[in-house]
Parts: sequence; C-alpha cells; structure tokens
Amino acid sequence: MEETRLTEHLKNRPAQLKEAKKDGAKIIGYFPGNYVPEEIIYASGAVPLCLIHGGNPRPADAGLSVMPQVICPFARAQIGERLLKENPYYDLIDMLVAPVTCQHLKKVAEIWEYEGKLHVFKLGVPHQHNNDFELEYFSDRLKALKNRLQSFTGNEITEEGLRQAIALYNRMRRLLRKISLLRRTASPPLSALEFIKLNHASFYADPVFMVEVLDSVYHELESKQAYASTDTPRLLLLGPNIGLGDYAILELIEETGAEVVIEEICEGIRYYWHDIENKGDIFQALTRGYLLDRIPCAFMRYSTRERLDFALKLIDDFNVSGVIWYELQCCETYDSEVYYFTEKMSERDIPVLVVESDYTTATGGQLKTRLQAFVEILKGVV
Amino acid sequence: MIELLKLLGFTAGDINTELPRVEKAFGKVGIIAGDIEAAKLRLKKYYDMELEGVRKAFRLCILEFVNSVLAREEGKKIIIFGFMIPGFETIGHVLMSKSREVYAAHLSWSFLLIMGCVFGKLEPILEAAEKKWLRAGAVTHCANLKTLLGIVDLGIVPRPDLMVTSGFMCETAPKTLDLLHELYGMPVCCWDTCLDRGPEDSSETKDRAGNLAKKNLRRLVEIIQEIVGFQITDDMLWEALEARSRFDDIISKLQRLIHSSDPLPLSPTHDNLWMILSCLTFSNETISDAIDTAVTLYRELQERVDKGLGAVPKGAPRVLGEMFAHHADPRLEHLACEMGIAIVVATAASTIRLDRTNKDPYEAMSVAWGGSHSTGLIQSVPMQMHVCKKMNIDGVLERYHAGCRTVAGDALVIQNAVKKELGIPVLLLEWENFDPRVYKHEEYKRRLEVFKTMMTQRAD
Repeated sequence: MEETRLTEHLKNRPAQLKEAKKDGAKIIGYFPGNYVPEEIIYASGAVPLCLIHGGNPRPADAGLSVMPQVICPFARAQIGERLLKENPYYDLIDMLVAPVTCQHLKKVAEIWEYEGKLHVFKLGVPHQHNNDFELEYFSDRLKALKNRLQSFTGNEITEEGLRQAIALYNRMRRLLRKISLLRRTASPPLSALEFIKLNHASFYADPVFMVEVLDSVYHELESKQAYASTDTPRLLLLGPNIGLGDYAILELIEETGAEVVIEEICEGIRYYWHDIENKGDIFQALTRGYLLDRIPCAFMRYSTRERLDFALKLIDDFNVSGVIWYELQCCETYDSEVYYFTEKMSERDIPVLVVESDYTTATGGQLKTRLQAFVEILKGVV
Repeated sequence: MIELLKLLGFTAGDINTELPRVEKAFGKVGIIAGDIEAAKLRLKKYYDMELEGVRKAFRLCILEFVNSVLAREEGKKIIIFGFMIPGFETIGHVLMSKSREVYAAHLSWSFLLIMGCVFGKLEPILEAAEKKWLRAGAVTHCANLKTLLGIVDLGIVPRPDLMVTSGFMCETAPKTLDLLHELYGMPVCCWDTCLDRGPEDSSETKDRAGNLAKKNLRRLVEIIQEIVGFQITDDMLWEALEARSRFDDIISKLQRLIHSSDPLPLSPTHDNLWMILSCLTFSNETISDAIDTAVTLYRELQERVDKGLGAVPKGAPRVLGEMFAHHADPRLEHLACEMGIAIVVATAASTIRLDRTNKDPYEAMSVAWGGSHSTGLIQSVPMQMHVCKKMNIDGVLERYHAGCRTVAGDALVIQNAVKKELGIPVLLLEWENFDPRVYKHEEYKRRLEVFKTMMTQRAD
C-alpha cells in the first residue's frame, strides 16, 4: 500500500516540482555525502534535491565528452544527466550546493560553474576537524549558505523555520534508523535493495509525505518481523557510493542466496545514525551533526581507523559473516582504503569480496560467478 | 663512479668528501656498476651536460638524494614532506639552518629525478607501492605517491619522525599518509585548507581559505617544534622566505628567458630540473650554492640566446605544455625537441609570489600557497588563454596527469575552450607525470607528427 503511494508520488514529483517552480519556488540541487544540511534549504522555502542518479552507463558515458575516464562514473553520470536532458530532476534545479568533498564531485561543480548555466555555491568542508577553527569554518560556511539562499529565494530563513526543518528531517532520520535496525533480526523484514530504494526516495520525495510513508512502513515491517534464523549469509556492504539505479550489485547478491543486512556507504545513502540537536545554537548543532558527530567519508583526514571501527561494530551488531566492498572505478581514496580494511578483516577471519564497477561491469556473468564463490565460502564459514 | 660524479658537477673537493657517502647511498638503493654506465649515457642523451649550470643543478639534486638516504645513520631527526606541500621547503630551510641535527626534505622529487631520469630504475619502487594500497590498473593512482610509498616500504629511506603533506588539492596523499600511520606507525600530519571559492566571493572573503591554511600551518609548525625541540620564530621564517625568494626570482628569470627566446635555448627535458631545484631544501649555508647554480645557468643561456643558438630551429612551432615536464622520464620532451617542436612553457611552472609587505609570515605563506591558487576552471581557463596569447603559442600539449583528478578533470574543458576561443590545435595526451612506464614511443611520435603538421599548416 505504502509502496504504491510512494511510487505514485515519485512518478508525479517532477510535474509537481515544475508547478512549484511556476509558482516561484526554487529547486536546489546538492551533491550526496551528507555534508549539506537540507534543513537550511528547506527553511528557505526552496526544495532540496539530492542529485544521486547513478548506475546507468549511458549518462556516465555521456560525461566522457567533458571529463576523462579517470573521473569516477558517478561524477561523470552527473555531468551526463544534464547533457542528456532526459532526467527531469537534473533539468529542474536552479542552483547547486556543492560540498567540497572529493575531487571528482568538486570537479563536476567547477564545470557547471564554468559553463555558467547554473548558480553554484561551493560549501567548504574542512577535511580535518580536530580544532575549533575548523568547526568554526564550517559553521561560517553554513551561515554563508543561509545568506546565499535568502538572497536567491527572496525568503528569510528564520530560526523557527530552521528548527521546524530540523525536527522534520530528524523524524525522517529516526524512522530510517528504526527501519534499518529491524534488519538486525535473524530474518530481516526488508531487503537491502528495498531499504536503499526507500532511502533514495527520501532524497526526491516531499519530506513531509516521506515521513508519513516511512512511519507507515516502519509499523508495517515491525509487525512482520520474523526471528527464525536461516542459513542465508548476512553481509555488510561497504563503499563510496550507491546511486539511485545502481542496483545491479544488490540484485546479484540476492540472486546468489546472500543478503546484505546493513550498509555503510558515503554517498547516495542518507545518513541516519543520529539526530541533529534541535536546541542551543542552530549552526553549531548543524556543524556537529553534519561534520563532527558522524562517521567520516574516506576522503576525511585520519578517517580510516574510525571507519574500520564502525564497520566492525556493524558486523557485530548485525551478525554479519562477510563484507562486500563495492567501489566505483577510479575512486582513489576507497581503493586505497580497501587494502587496510581487507587486512584488518582478514585478521578477524571476516571474508571480504572487492567489487569494482564502472556501471558496465557490475552486471556481468564473471561477477555473478565471483559472488557465488564468495557465498559458498561464507556458507562454509557460517 | 668518479666519472659520473664529475659529469654531475662534483668538483675534486666534493668527490673527496662526498664519494663514500654517495657510494653508500647508491648501494642502499641498489645502483650497480652497469647503472652508472647507463646513467652517463642517459645524461648525455637527454640533458645539456655541457652547461655548467645544468651540472651544478644535478649535483644539488644528488646531494639531497644522498642526504635523504643517509639521514638516520648520520643521526638526524627527519621531517619528510610527502607529495604536494607547496612552499614547505621554507620551513625545511628554517629547520636545516637552525640545526644540523635535523634533516627536512621533499622526499619524492630528488628520487624521481635520480632514480627515474638519471638511472631509469624507478620501476621497482613503483611496483613495491603497487603491491600495497596504490595498486596498478584502471584506478590510476598517482605515481608520485607510489614513489613515496615504495621508498618507505622498501626501507630505502629511514622512517621519518614526521611525514607531512598538504591535502587540499588531492585526497590520495593524505589517505596514503593515514595508511602509513595505521600500518607503519609513522607520525603524520596534514596541512589543509578548503578550496571553496566561487565567483560571487568578494575580495574581503577571498582570503578565508588562506586564513584556514594559516591556522593549519601554525598548528603544523607547533607539531614540528615539539619534534625538533626548538622554536621556529617569525624572524626565522622571514629570513628563510627572503633567502629563498632570491633563489626563486632567479629561477623565474631563467624560465622567462627560456620561454621568451626563439630559438628555444634549451631542451624542455630540463623544465623538470627547475621545478625540482625549487623544491630542494637548502639552509642559510647552502642556499648560495643554489643561487650560484641558477645564476651560472642564466649566464650560459643568455650567451646562447645572444648567439641565436637553440635546441630547436628558430621558428619552430611554439607549444604550451600543460603541467610540468615528466618528473621521472625525459623521453617525451626529448622526442618533441628532436621533432622540432618547441615546448616553450609549462603552465604549472609559474612561481607563486609572496606578499612581502605582510607582517605575518604564516599569512604570507598561506595566502600564496593555500589560498590564492586553484580556484577552479572559471579562473584557470581565462588564465590559460592569456598565456597562450602572450606567448604566441601555436598549439597546446595537454599532457594531463591522469593520477591527479584535479588536473585530469580540467583537461577536456581546457581542450574545448582553447579550440573554440583560439582555434589552435590541442594534443590531448593522457599520461602519468611520474611513471616512466606510460611512455609509448611510436604512438607519441605519430601523434606529435600530426600535431606539428596541424600547427605548421595553420601558420602557413
């Protein structure tokens, strides 16, 4: 029931947004990685849209006319989506908020800025934040974003508006967290693919509507929980990015008789592990929530150990027996990090399968054979 | 060995004092008699060893190479600057001027030149890194970092007391340091800022990245002070900045002479040498050697220019080379030169100017190195056009370093802009600035021939 409502909503969403634009609303696109507080955009009366389409080789290929092959397929796909003009969301955006994260996405923002067809705001994200001055820098940049949005939309961003937005997005995060945690049970009531699709939908759907849907989904799933254990190997999915549409790997895993029960993905998945504090200084709270109190992406300084520790905690909490490391081709930070992760997982007898995708290679028979062999190993381990 | 050292600009006095050290260092990196002979041939083939200035430049690079390898057994504390840390030779200069117990250097540059360009033996170092986390293949990791990791992994240089990098234009360098810390227990530190400027930024806010860099730099210097056990004062930094700026001025003058002369007085194989010279760490005591080297070379080249002598015929097509010349392999530049193509300027070789009126040395350094450059395509493309027009460029050799996403990501945009706005040919060459294995002689030769024909036809 909820699935139908959500599908219908998403189907109509581009048309709704077009109407909203006609009525003067601004559509603000931003890049994934969870460093852009949607709350500020939402409080400005604009519509936040996270640009997360990936997985389709055609836009990534189209991006090659502007960027070389060494730029990751997700970044190239962003360029390609706007070049192909087939994805309504990418045509709708009036302004881009580009967090200064990895060089790949930063380059996409620079290219759009250079082309001059889109307003671009680069949100400086300090890649290390052990010191007050780094947190202050991010906080200042969030304030600059607020000012920019105010002048761009012509709407004032009030403290009350921001608090309401934080409360709304906290509800969304909380519901996603609760749904995700249902997967700790022996027989998870929803698959990783279903969870990721829900998560992706939260980036495009109207947030108020999405919260209603998530609430219903949670109650529905809670009642469906099963505790009988199965011999299906339970997997942790790690990696830089899962775009909307980049589902081939998850489908293949399901086909081979294993189950991803939890993911730790930097880009594409909404970060839901904690709420943003909604009292005290708002910008300090957003700074803490979006920069300090979260698991850092791999491009952050000195992040490797922290990320490993979090992955190990997920392995324990979700009773995981193997890890799929899914990285996009040419993502140099994750490709470096996998060496360390594999070594440390091996010390704990946790098998890791590394899969690399350029959006054309993640569907082949060779990958299926590798996954089957991996699952067989895990079944032996299990 | 003595013959090689003489060729590399060592005087008889130098040889007396340095020969045992050079032999020891070469032994540690696996240089054998056959390599010495090969090196002599390579040097004569690719470099203008008749010029005293070139020989002196090689001597300084060899000395840094030897010092790096022997630093620990000579009882020094070691601060290594890995990968990109623009301007860090200034802090190295302070450290080496203040104490003979400290050795500070950019690690990769002298290694790339000596092991790559001189001996042609970089492969084992790169392969060692590829067995670790900077693997070979489509991911295209930067070979500069591979060199750094390979050197450390093979134990060619002793484990440093601190390894430093900048990270604002690259994530692989800080990640490599992070893993060196986790897997080798190496103390590491990153100097960061945030390149987040947009065209909307007013001049007042333009320095925010510089300010962040300044605070980061102060923190880094505090860490270094703890390790070396003495204070680095503002006066010391200014003294080093002044000393180095005299050297940098001559290097800039030298580059301007080369770039503005027709015929090109020296093969572009040497472009890499100026860049490395600029990154070597000197002290108050040794900076005069560096200045003398640059002055000698300038004088020699001026004589050539006055006589109308050049490495390519007068009137050869003038080419803007994107990025530096190859750091570990002179063959492409040599090939272009042999084919009568004058690579007159490398865009990345511009010297960053310090604001000497600034009272805070940290601010002066940070604004220059961390704040004011790399502000994106919106500024770099017009700059590129300006250089092409000013230098009467006939074509652009867009040899982009595939291992660097910052550089590689710009390449096609620049190519399209140059073709559209200037109508001159652009040769796009995906390559690796630090890995000699990418060189494909026949392919490059064919492509350069077509490129030259296009430039010549356009001129006709």
